[in-house]
Amino acid sequence: MEEKKLIEAAKNGDKKALADLVKAYEKTVYNFAFKICRNPDMAEDIMQETFFSMIKSLKQFDGKSKLSTWLYRIAVNHYLMAVRKNQHEFVSIDDENELYDNRFVSDWETIPANFLENKELKNILDNSIEKLSPEYRAVFLLRDIEGLSTEETAKITELSIPAVKSRLHRARAFLRKEINKAFQR
Amino acid sequence: MKNKVLCKEVMSHICESLGEDFNSPKCKAIKEHLTECPECIKYFKSVERTIEFYKSYNCELSQETHKRLMDSLGLNDIDN
Repeated sequence: MEEKKLIEAAKNGDKKALADLVKAYEKTVYNFAFKICRNPDMAEDIMQETFFSMIKSLKQFDGKSKLSTWLYRIAVNHYLMAVRKNQHEFVSIDDENELYDNRFVSDWETIPANFLENKELKNILDNSIEKLSPEYRAVFLLRDIEGLSTEETAKITELSIPAVKSRLHRARAFLRKEINKAFQR
Repeated sequence: MKNKVLCKEVMSHICESLGEDFNSPKCKAIKEHLTECPECIKYFKSVERTIEFYKSYNCELSQETHKRLMDSLGLNDIDN
C-alpha cells in the first residue's frame, strides 16, 4: 500500500497499517538517533519515544511535509530534551580563524578505505561529534548525512536558512579539524 | 583582480560548494581556485571525507531492538 493510504488507514485505527509505517521508518529513525546521540541505548529510547509521539499525534499530521521529515523533527526534539536534562558541556566553535586553520593538514588520501572497520578510528568519529553542541550536531546530520534540504533542516530545527548554513559550515569545519588532529597523533 | 580569491576565503566558503548549486561569479572563482590550489584541494577533500565517514558509520537495528519497539507500541501481535 502506498504511504499516503497507509497513513490514512492508520489514522482510522488500522493497526496493520500503523505497524507497516513503523517498520518502514524504524531503521531510519534508529540510525539517525544513534548518529545524533552516539549511544545505542539512548538511540533506542529516542526511537521508541519518536514512534509513541507519532502514534499519539498522527491524526494531526496534515501531509504537507513528508512523514520522514515529521519523524526527524520529533526525534530531534526528543534528543534535545534528553541532553538538556544532562547539562553536558560542549565546545564553542565561534572562532572562525581557529576552525579554518589549515596548518599541518594531514594527507587524507592515505586513510584506508576500510577505515571504519577499525574500532579506534570509530572512537575518533564518536569523540569528535560528541564535542559538538546538540544544535550544530542536528544541522550537520540532517543536512549532510540524512540529505535533507536546507529548508527542511531549517523547519525541523526552527532556525533561519542563514543560521542553518552558518551552523553547517562550522560543524563541518569543526569535525574535519578534530579528525585531522586525531590523524596527526 | 575582482574575482581573485585567497585560500582563507575559500576555506570559509568551501562548504557551501558541497551539495549546493551556486552559479555566482564568486562561486565560479572559488571552483576555479580549487582546481589550482593544492592546499585547498586537500582541505576540500578532507571535508568531503569527513561527511563520508559519518555517512557510512551506522548502527544496526537488531531483531531484539525491533521486537522491543513493537512490544512497547502494542503492535507485537500484528508484527510478522
